[in-house]
Amino acid sequence: MAKHRGRGFATIEYPTGMNQNGDPSQAWIKLKPDGRVDVFSGTVDIGQGSKTVHTQIVADTLGVPYDWVTMDNTNTDSSAVCTGTFASRGTFIGGNAVRLAAERVRERILDIASKELEIDPSDLEIADGEVLAKGSPQKKIGVADVAGAATYNYGELISGSSTALKPFADVDDATGQVEIEPHSAISYAACVADVEVDDETGEVTVLKMVQVYDVGRAINPLLVEGQIEGGAIMGLGLGLLENSYPYYPSVDHRGGEFGAYLGPAFADLPELDNVIIENPSADGPFGAKAIGEMANNAQPPAIANAIHDAVGVWVTEMPATPDRVLAALKAKAEPRRDGKRVIFDEQLSVRTVSSNGGEGYWGVEP
Amino acid sequence: MKAVGARLPRYDGVGHVTGRTRFVDDVRVGKTLWVKALRSPHHHAAITRLDVSKAAAMPGVHAIVTHEDIPRNVYGHLEALGVPGDEPLLAAEDVRYLGQPIAAVAAESEAAAQAAVEAIEVSYEEKPALFDIRKALDPDAPQIHHWGNVYPHYGSYNHRRVRKGNIDWAFEKADVIVEGVYRPQAIEQLPLETQVCTVVPEPDGRLTVYSCTQAMYFSMGVVAAHLQWPLNRLKFVGGTVGGGFGGKVDTATDTICCLLALKARRPVKWRWTREEEMLCSSTRAPWHIELADAVTSDGWILGRRTLTIHDAGAYARFSPYGLTKHAFHHSGAYTIPNLRFDGFVAFTNRVPTTAMRGFGVTSVSFAVETHLNRVAEAIGMDPWELRLKNANRVGDTTGNGVTLKDPSTVPVTLAAAERVGIELPAEYRAMTSDPRGGDLLPEHLAAQQNLSELNGGGH
Repeated sequence: MAKHRGRGFATIEYPTGMNQNGDPSQAWIKLKPDGRVDVFSGTVDIGQGSKTVHTQIVADTLGVPYDWVTMDNTNTDSSAVCTGTFASRGTFIGGNAVRLAAERVRERILDIASKELEIDPSDLEIADGEVLAKGSPQKKIGVADVAGAATYNYGELISGSSTALKPFADVDDATGQVEIEPHSAISYAACVADVEVDDETGEVTVLKMVQVYDVGRAINPLLVEGQIEGGAIMGLGLGLLENSYPYYPSVDHRGGEFGAYLGPAFADLPELDNVIIENPSADGPFGAKAIGEMANNAQPPAIANAIHDAVGVWVTEMPATPDRVLAALKAKAEPRRDGKRVIFDEQLSVRTVSSNGGEGYWGVEP
Repeated sequence: MKAVGARLPRYDGVGHVTGRTRFVDDVRVGKTLWVKALRSPHHHAAITRLDVSKAAAMPGVHAIVTHEDIPRNVYGHLEALGVPGDEPLLAAEDVRYLGQPIAAVAAESEAAAQAAVEAIEVSYEEKPALFDIRKALDPDAPQIHHWGNVYPHYGSYNHRRVRKGNIDWAFEKADVIVEGVYRPQAIEQLPLETQVCTVVPEPDGRLTVYSCTQAMYFSMGVVAAHLQWPLNRLKFVGGTVGGGFGGKVDTATDTICCLLALKARRPVKWRWTREEEMLCSSTRAPWHIELADAVTSDGWILGRRTLTIHDAGAYARFSPYGLTKHAFHHSGAYTIPNLRFDGFVAFTNRVPTTAMRGFGVTSVSFAVETHLNRVAEAIGMDPWELRLKNANRVGDTTGNGVTLKDPSTVPVTLAAAERVGIELPAEYRAMTSDPRGGDLLPEHLAAQQNLSELNGGGH
């Protein structure tokens, strides 16, 4: 009886935006008379920090300080369409919507500034809340003064709106092939998990996870790390702990309260080492790709592979609970070999469990 | 460029952790009634009698709704994407899972609402239930869904298909075929904020919906469809969610609250108990995945055959979408030239499953990445090298025919190896995402790339 260390890893990919596209996000932006910026976007912040990320994108697109920008995502009367916060679309698609709207607002600011400074808009730029003549930065006007002039002299509301939308991608139902890319940028990640397996109790402890994410461009590295670490804990729960149906497929013994359900807690937190890689996307805001959902995908297989490395057994029913690990240790199952076939998990297969060998599933046309 | 790239704290973070953020449950409106639901006590049954008259006459009860009160009871969340509706908002003839809502009451207090729920007269005739998706198409399986036991609307097919290259050639040519079965489980969404909604009927005839939805416009569309209303009669207020990992894309409470608010002419609030949240709200889906990889002894993955069965629970919800996404990513971060994938959405008598972080792909990532280590072991190859050799590269085509522009399998894998001190041979350390050539463009991949170029390639 002993504790055994093991290491496993996994490399994964994940798409941005709704599968097959067709999922618009719209945004509109207006300037107050003092140049402060109101952004209206329907993107719901489910805790990932999209309001903060969108604010950063707008501030830099306009060239104004971050704290000038206010984000209103509170209701459907003032906000335009956002298909929703899912499919890892907040930073990329919602972010592109606010970026494109901000670009239009920027054009309007430059037009009004051009009249005030009597300089062609193409010779102007905006930085730190001021419109400056390129090459002669002493010729300048504050964005606040531009907004004031628009409001009180020109009778104009400086505003801009836009939509981020990729057209729907049809799928050939016979072959699964598409004519256009059915998603936006694909993100990639790798996770290395170090575990300790107790061969007496079957308990698996994750000691450390090293995780590498290519997010294109980290708009906010702090929030990216939040996603990486939060996702790691969800992935650990998936890999080792959580199960709505402890005796699946049976529905017996479901937990109806926190205390009857094993979710990950701080006691389960391993050492985490995060690495962010920036391989920019051609069409994401400032090169960003998504990270939201993929952040809990790499840990379960990395843990399963680490368990095998530690004690030589495969647990392919998730999660790898102590009873499953002990059962696997007891069985020490070897794959069946049939010619060049190496066949694992026969006892789990539809071929074994179905009363007719799973003919309805296996018998479809080639 | 100042804000982008900066480590700025979430500007709503302090409010969240000091309890000052206003979530839906913090909204207080005078004269609000409380909502409770009658839920099915059976996994599968016919409703033979439903009489709410005694309950409606109880003290403090202002309104009760059943399927008869709903202008459009069956509306599919994905009808816009061509997935027909199958789930009633309130059960009419059959109940197909334990906890399925049948009627809802609005009353002066939660206790009065619960007492009225218990006074609703309802009779059932139990039917056999199905729980194991592997047996859903067995000749003796109970029939549990009017579409049959699997979702039948992938065009003319009852399964999502991917066909690429020549799968028979791959399996014939292979030195080793590795087969395995992977079964990712259902888990709870487990938000701290249970499903909750307050609806206020406004003097101008509109409804204000304080919603915990992850998708205000989406949920507004769902409510409008059930009510058969134009969008301008609804105002959704939300944008801040106390935990939504996919489950709050289901419009679980909003529509019923709207119906009760209209009938009672009073604001109503429905806040699920923790028990309801855990037993009646949707889970992540369980999946069953059988992989067979055809590989050469020097580590080329020539082909993959896949059978996937997705446990949708009692109704389709987003499952047909999730399976398609799963199909599109079943080759993982690797280039596999010959594929045959058949995926089914099977119905069972459990709570409908729904979107959750990684929808459709979390499951296949587990299967693929665990399977690759078995493949590596079977051919005696290092699992890092196996992955790097077959990694996606610029110009490779995915299973569904997309030409990759900016893949990162190689850089993330190499960075992870370096970070933990794995010493790879120089030829692997030198790899990049650049287009294949030389030893990394064997005949079987070159043939397909040429074909892709002939067909116009890069989308």
